[in-house]
Amino acid sequence: MTNPLLEIDQLSVSLQKRKQTLKAVDNLSLKIYSGEILGLVGESGAGKSMTGSAILGLIDPPLFISSGKIIFEGERIDQNTKNIRGSKISMIFQDPLVSLNPLRRIGDQLVETIITHFDVSKTQAFERAKSLLEEVGIDPSRINAYPHTFSGGMRQRVVIALALAPEPALIIADEPTTALDVSVQAQILDLLKKLAKERGTAIILITHDMGVIAETTDRVAVLYSGRLAEIGKTVDVLKDPKHPYTKGLVASTPRIDANSLLEKLFQIPGAMPDLDNIPEGCPFHPRCDFADAQCRKEQPPLFQNRSACWLSKD
Amino acid sequence: MSYVIANQLTRHYDLSDPWIIRQINRRPKNILTAVNHVSFSIEKGEAYALVGESGSGKSTIAKMVSGLLKPSAGSIHIDGHDLNGPILDGKATHNMRQRIQMVFQSPYASLNPRWKIGNIILEPIKSFRLIADEKQQHKRVAELLDQVGLSERDVSKYPHEFSGGQRQRISIARALASQPEIIICDEPTSALDVSVQAQVLNLLKDLQKEFSLTYLFISHDLAVISTMANKIGVLKDGKLVEEADSAELFANPKHEYTKMLLSAAPNIGVYVHSERKS
Repeated sequence: MTNPLLEIDQLSVSLQKRKQTLKAVDNLSLKIYSGEILGLVGESGAGKSMTGSAILGLIDPPLFISSGKIIFEGERIDQNTKNIRGSKISMIFQDPLVSLNPLRRIGDQLVETIITHFDVSKTQAFERAKSLLEEVGIDPSRINAYPHTFSGGMRQRVVIALALAPEPALIIADEPTTALDVSVQAQILDLLKKLAKERGTAIILITHDMGVIAETTDRVAVLYSGRLAEIGKTVDVLKDPKHPYTKGLVASTPRIDANSLLEKLFQIPGAMPDLDNIPEGCPFHPRCDFADAQCRKEQPPLFQNRSACWLSKD
Repeated sequence: MSYVIANQLTRHYDLSDPWIIRQINRRPKNILTAVNHVSFSIEKGEAYALVGESGSGKSTIAKMVSGLLKPSAGSIHIDGHDLNGPILDGKATHNMRQRIQMVFQSPYASLNPRWKIGNIILEPIKSFRLIADEKQQHKRVAELLDQVGLSERDVSKYPHEFSGGQRQRISIARALASQPEIIICDEPTSALDVSVQAQVLNLLKDLQKEFSLTYLFISHDLAVISTMANKIGVLKDGKLVEEADSAELFANPKHEYTKMLLSAAPNIGVYVHSERKS
């Protein structure tokens, strides 16, 4: 197998509160390869966005990376991300209205990004901007338009064009379609799939929507309380989840089905614990039907490179 | 006769510039038709869902059925009473309000942050003068909290002490407080996580059975709707483009727009039920 593009090795992101150390991300290890779409899924507070920020070096105090390594193309980047951030790795945020400058034409914003990263003249950069817009499905003649003249989906396309401008090897998309309608969401997800396929760009797709995961990603990592609960090929994880939390997530996701009206949805009791109140042992054990004495005492490691649950031990 | 009848509902919004500006620029009035001649009916005890994308007018309809907004044209009859008719004087309107309650989308914005939970839930009881005795009032609040899966001890807490799912339970308890017959749910779970969403949807299902409630469900999420509603209306640009029983709509969508919505909706079922599509 080829070397991974990005490797996260036992990463922990912590927060010092009084005498307590709270871990927003705890001992997380992940690998991502070129041309692959990896899904990070979990509920609010699971640490998925924090992981994305850590890769880009966007962790601000009081949070800090307390241990672990992030290796990108063979080099450690957890200490110094300046040369990588924005050029080799770019980010797409949730709200396209906030991530574009409303006072500047989209063309100028694209040209600025291109000139920052490549040694080209302004005219060349302008041509490049046009071809980028074409690639994401926007009429290049609108290059001089302002962001507010675009719809939400079009704006997200502009944001994707901006993210593509430095020709990154990795794109981190943090809930890129949460603010969009379903039909537009489908278009944006198709666009991301096309980019991964044609450009060989690796994409980390952060989402809480199991449906989006099912339709878009190649592999998926399920996070719970900042820890990796389960990781594997999307088909395997969704068809045959090993971790009780993944099982619960899959079962509680409503699906379009004629019979679903009669049945009740499966529900996981309780809610995800707060950071300052993560239970000892497996963080999921208070909500788990299968929890036993070992689960309450010891935190399970990742078994068979798949599931962090004592049940998956053998 | 159906329990809720909306007949040729229409709502305009006037987005024109001030008159003087219009005169100077020689521009006509700018009228937006948010809801355009929409008719539907809901039987008693049924769950009816309106689905559509942003701007399709689904929330405007919800507001008109709840009486928060007057229709520009058309009428709404609930249990034979015209909601905006001349027969309803102030008192009758008040009575009507008691029978229709609403659960809003954002559990963060729909609860007053300065009110204690007990008072939030007590307010409809006081407003409609349902229970006079103070002890009985407290008993009723405790009962309501119990029905939505919260505890009696929560009465003296403030909304910020609760998670999103719990807050939505409080909204539901408040809606139930006036013993309504119809509850309008405007995207009740779109701000919630999946596992919490399942809890809230199951609660709504249980309550419907227990109190034989009639639901008007507003959502953009076809998967949520397929688990909740037995009849579905599809809205596009303020018009009802298709209406059918839930099973029929999902199995055999007729309108192009419905087909498009169904194919665009991300569905986890592609893996769970069958082999991968591609």
